[in-house]
Amino acid sequence: MKKFYILTFLSLILASCHEKAKVQTVKEEMVTTTADDLKLIGSWVGSFNADVKTEDYIPNIKINLIIKNIEGDSVSAQSVLAGNSRVISGKIIRTGQIAKFELFEPGNDKYDGKFTFEIANGTLKGFWEAFDKTIKVNRRVFTLTKKAFVYNADLMLPENDYYDEYNSKIEKVIDTIDGKEEKYDQAQYRYADEIVYKVNSSTHAFTEDELKNLKKLELEILRNTIYARHGLSFKKKGFRQFFDYVDWYIPVSGNVDDQLTSLERANIKLLSRFEQYATDSYDTFGR
Amino acid sequence: MQRKLSYFRLAWLIFYGFFFFLMLELTLKYIPFSNTVSFLAIKQTEVTTVRSYLPIFYLHVYTAIFCLLAGFTQFSSSLLANYKKVHRAIGYIYVISVVCLSAPSGIFMGYHANGGVFSKISFVLLGILWIFFTVKALITAKQGKFKLHRQFMSRSFALACSAITLRLWKVILVYLFHPSPMDVYQLIAWLGWVPNLLLVEYLIRKKQT
Repeated sequence: MKKFYILTFLSLILASCHEKAKVQTVKEEMVTTTADDLKLIGSWVGSFNADVKTEDYIPNIKINLIIKNIEGDSVSAQSVLAGNSRVISGKIIRTGQIAKFELFEPGNDKYDGKFTFEIANGTLKGFWEAFDKTIKVNRRVFTLTKKAFVYNADLMLPENDYYDEYNSKIEKVIDTIDGKEEKYDQAQYRYADEIVYKVNSSTHAFTEDELKNLKKLELEILRNTIYARHGLSFKKKGFRQFFDYVDWYIPVSGNVDDQLTSLERANIKLLSRFEQYATDSYDTFGR
Repeated sequence: MQRKLSYFRLAWLIFYGFFFFLMLELTLKYIPFSNTVSFLAIKQTEVTTVRSYLPIFYLHVYTAIFCLLAGFTQFSSSLLANYKKVHRAIGYIYVISVVCLSAPSGIFMGYHANGGVFSKISFVLLGILWIFFTVKALITAKQGKFKLHRQFMSRSFALACSAITLRLWKVILVYLFHPSPMDVYQLIAWLGWVPNLLLVEYLIRKKQT
């Protein structure tokens, strides 16, 4: 009997030691994961590009994929793009230095889908597939980098030829090519001059005189750049087209009105008034 | 006496009537009174800093249309022959509208015109010439010098029509060239009335030979 009790006692002690060791290693594992996870949490920004076979031109969209929280292997995140903000959630699988993610959008929107990506060496790379395979752009690819949004009033559009891709008029052109007269249709685009990348609408208080000779597109771009600096996610592609390709632009919110400075508000009011006048009167019989 | 409505006269009435209607439509945009409606949307600097701008602007907008009424009646020789009193009544309405109301207010607005000095000179000059020709036309009528009266009234009316031709040029130039707003404005400030006057001068000289 004595031997039995000693054996049981020893085995119990061994068992508890083993348990303790196990608990300790599990705790150590959790601490390491959290520190690495902090590197994953944040805003991942870049270009959301169509990956479908088509002749059509499908513009890239600027995406801000915000990884909000990682608990164990559960991830909660948010995608901000094209004026939409979707809550996404899913799983993370860590293998060595690589973190693989599978995140799902809610599924109650026609354009919802699944994000599959991995983060390694500070770069996020992956693809998105729509739940509804019948929509035109049912797959997109992206390579994102971590960027924190910070409001900077001095940010300017880069020097470029700015024209409105989406509101062209078809003009009939008659041209003489190689001595032969040819008729063809030519798209006429609205374009903006250099003022849109030379004058800062967030720091320069405009006067009426300065705006009177501006074309409507120039007024629009100057006004929307104010919103872009504050990270407005533009719903209209007609507005988005000027910012999605800009390096510093990070869409953060669908409404930034409460972030505007008083100078910006005054400029927006003035620019809007001139835009309205341009809409009403630029090409009509009125004055 | 037979009243003839020739095809030419009919064509003129329809053509002129169409543009008169457009001008009336424009005038009606300013009813009810507002600080910011239509053209005033880009004149807020003047509206807020020049006290008399708004009243003088509205004086011009509400009275200038009456100057254009003359286009329907005053060039009709049959109306003159059969209803001389009507010709004179409408003639006086025209003269008072121009000399006392539309032209002075136009000169004031011209001084505050968009498009810089180049436009301002044009509108002020237009206003001055408009008064000059209209007064000369009145005087020559009173003196019985009706040939001169017709010539001066033609010049005066050609300038009155600048309201229409300026806007026509704008539509044409914008359609063809899509220029910046003030660039086109500076052009039409002069294109609006100088060709009109040149045409009338040409017709007067042609008629004399």
